[in-house]
Amino acid sequence: MLIYLIKRILLLAPVFLAVSAIIFLILHLIPGDPVDNLLKVGSSAAKRAEIEARYGLDRPLVVQYGIWLGNVLQGDLGTSIVTRRPVSQLIGQTLPHSLQLGGLALLLSSVVGVLLGVLAARARDRWPDRLVMGGVLLGSTLPSFWIGLILILVFSVQLGWFPVSGARGWSSLVLPVITIGLGGVALVARVTRVAMIDTAGRDFVLLLHAKGLPPGRILWRHVLRHAMIPVVTILALRIGWILGGAVTVEYVFARPGLGTTLIKALNQHDYPVVQACLLMLAIAVMLGTLLGDIIQALMDPRVREAIT
Amino acid sequence: MFHTVRRHLIAGSTCVAALMPLSLWAQEAVFVFGSSEVGIPNYNPLTAVNTNAAFTMIYDTLIEQDGDLSFHPHLAESWEEAPDGKAWVFHLKPGIKFHNGDPLTADTIVQWIDMFRSSENSYMVDNVEKVEAVDETTVRFVMKNPDPNLLYNLSSSFMAIPNPKSVTELGEDYGITEAVGTGPFRLESFTLGQETVLVRNDDYAWASTLAENQGPPHIAKLTFREIPEDSTAFLELKSGGVDALLSLPTDYLGEITAEPALALAKIPGQEVYYMPINVTKEPFTDIRVRQAAALAINQDEILKNVFSSYGQASHNFLISALPESKLDPALNISFDPDKANALLDEAGWVKGADGVREKDGAKLTVALWTQSDSVFRRLTEVVQAELKSVGFDPQIQTFDSSVIRDEYKTGEQQLAVRSYFWNNADIVDWFFGGDRVGYPNISMFNDPKAEELRAKAMTGSATQEERVANFTAYHAYVTSQFPYAPIYQPEQNMAFNKDRLVVPGVIHGNSITGTVVQDISVKE
Repeated sequence: MLIYLIKRILLLAPVFLAVSAIIFLILHLIPGDPVDNLLKVGSSAAKRAEIEARYGLDRPLVVQYGIWLGNVLQGDLGTSIVTRRPVSQLIGQTLPHSLQLGGLALLLSSVVGVLLGVLAARARDRWPDRLVMGGVLLGSTLPSFWIGLILILVFSVQLGWFPVSGARGWSSLVLPVITIGLGGVALVARVTRVAMIDTAGRDFVLLLHAKGLPPGRILWRHVLRHAMIPVVTILALRIGWILGGAVTVEYVFARPGLGTTLIKALNQHDYPVVQACLLMLAIAVMLGTLLGDIIQALMDPRVREAIT
Repeated sequence: MFHTVRRHLIAGSTCVAALMPLSLWAQEAVFVFGSSEVGIPNYNPLTAVNTNAAFTMIYDTLIEQDGDLSFHPHLAESWEEAPDGKAWVFHLKPGIKFHNGDPLTADTIVQWIDMFRSSENSYMVDNVEKVEAVDETTVRFVMKNPDPNLLYNLSSSFMAIPNPKSVTELGEDYGITEAVGTGPFRLESFTLGQETVLVRNDDYAWASTLAENQGPPHIAKLTFREIPEDSTAFLELKSGGVDALLSLPTDYLGEITAEPALALAKIPGQEVYYMPINVTKEPFTDIRVRQAAALAINQDEILKNVFSSYGQASHNFLISALPESKLDPALNISFDPDKANALLDEAGWVKGADGVREKDGAKLTVALWTQSDSVFRRLTEVVQAELKSVGFDPQIQTFDSSVIRDEYKTGEQQLAVRSYFWNNADIVDWFFGGDRVGYPNISMFNDPKAEELRAKAMTGSATQEERVANFTAYHAYVTSQFPYAPIYQPEQNMAFNKDRLVVPGVIHGNSITGTVVQDISVKE
């Protein structure tokens, strides 16, 4: 298991390098120059050169990348061009909000998704199954910012149950968590249903029934446990998606977080902040996959064997 | 001496009198910044590249400008300009105190202007040679060149006065953890991108004469929230989550009238929508084609159909409150399709079978740029149809609002639809100055006669009257060359919950400033 773990972590290094290079390049290839936002229009060329030198924008791209990567590895994400504060400080302030939102949304996706999936599998092809799967289809195709606004209209404006926006206390978390979690619920429910139906048809389940175990016990202890393997993989992949999906949702609900920071920074061409936000999202996806693989290996000896 | 003491006593007693009935209730209100004011990194006016309404609550300026653009006393109770424009004397109100108790005196102004010279907006004091304290409450600005714009600059929120001592002491943290001004509210807490909480400055007794309430503000605790998404902000107001939106997007004006609890307070508009015409790109190198394009814009129809008759039609480059916008009526640009057609015929562009004009085998196809915000897309489609009706074939190209400036710098644009936000005639210099071709001079206008008039307007005026005359001449000449077509002037509106707030009928200011909030109170 240890060897598997080490190998799996080592695999992250090339992925990280590739991702960081792409993030670095995307921003330098799109049109727009952050220096323009800092300079008064009509400023002298000398003033421009001075500002470029201050942020290292005058060096060749490869050198800029090298310096940036070196700093990032030491935890220095640079200084925001617009706010002139260390980016790591900015990320440190906003990341907890995003993690809280993302974590709760993930929890909602897993619990509700698995329950609905089991329900649908048990009532296969009857109306509860149709209802759940229909709802799932709807939930996974509607854009989240739109769902967010609809939820606000219904639950905040009409019913007045939750605040419209902001990040003040638990009640303001409910709607954004549902908005983000809904897509995950749909996905997890679908995967759980298929895996449950698939596992329920296996020989060992037939054997358990033959041994006379109560059906409830077979379902929850044995079938579900087997069916969880693909679900865990999907959930692990969702970690990155959930943080990414939170970008627009945070904006709609006016919550602090990586998303609002990213959108603001993109508009202002604040390179260091955009890079740091994208890097955080990429790292979340990478760590999510890693976590999923590890849990899978713990759950399923065959996976461990295949790699070692 | 006795005189001052008595004045203090009077000020003190009015202050107590004003406080008495109000302190019984805890007046609290929540406002939402306009979406363009979201994301201010700190409350330090010396490093600010952008300010929001809360700056004017925490800090005061020497001078206050009313919505009709006239100037009124604030920290300076009076001022005199030397006849040759080479010096200004400002008389400060006595007894002004910063939030931390330090007095604001003539020496403070000297130190502050010194610090201001290294700020982002130092150009505002470029014409000031030096500032000297004559006595405790008298300060003299000695000018390099006469600058009739000095009062305007001093009334700007960028020239809000922080405590120089606190700025130095707190360094990087100034404006984030603490901000020390003389304004009607103190900064209680600031969460980047989220909210700014202000509490009443109970010592406040130096309000601008524009405010009726000369004592501390009625509102005890004022929270400003940052909501980037307009629809969310509107829903917050509708559901009672907040009490006011400082700037309501035009799209929601209709919704407000439908809600019995909501009301609007009109703030004089500062924005102008216009169509820059690139004078260096064929076919617009021909002034007749430029004029035809400008005359094809139907300002009244746009006002009615795109903006539901809120605001007013624009016929030249400046907001109508500015004296420099009063051009000879013959120079104003108004819808005249017959003349537009005649000019294009004269220029050799003949209408083809499909309605598009042609000349030497080339069609009158032009690029019409716009930005992705919905109001611009909608407006640009109407402009496109209007240009089409006189024989242009405009092709709309939409850019993200964050990159369009860089696209303008390429100089490839022919026509564009955009807007600017400013209430001073020097905006003509900003958008048509020959040394800023590309952006902000999107029209790429560089004309020797205009440059001559521009220099005269910018640096050759000793008094306000001269400046107005010079800028009017410059504005008139630029307009006569058709490097742009005026379209529309919106009005600004604050939307508020009238069950919660009492807002004065007339807003005395260019925006919702600290002076305006002085007279706003919460219903209990």
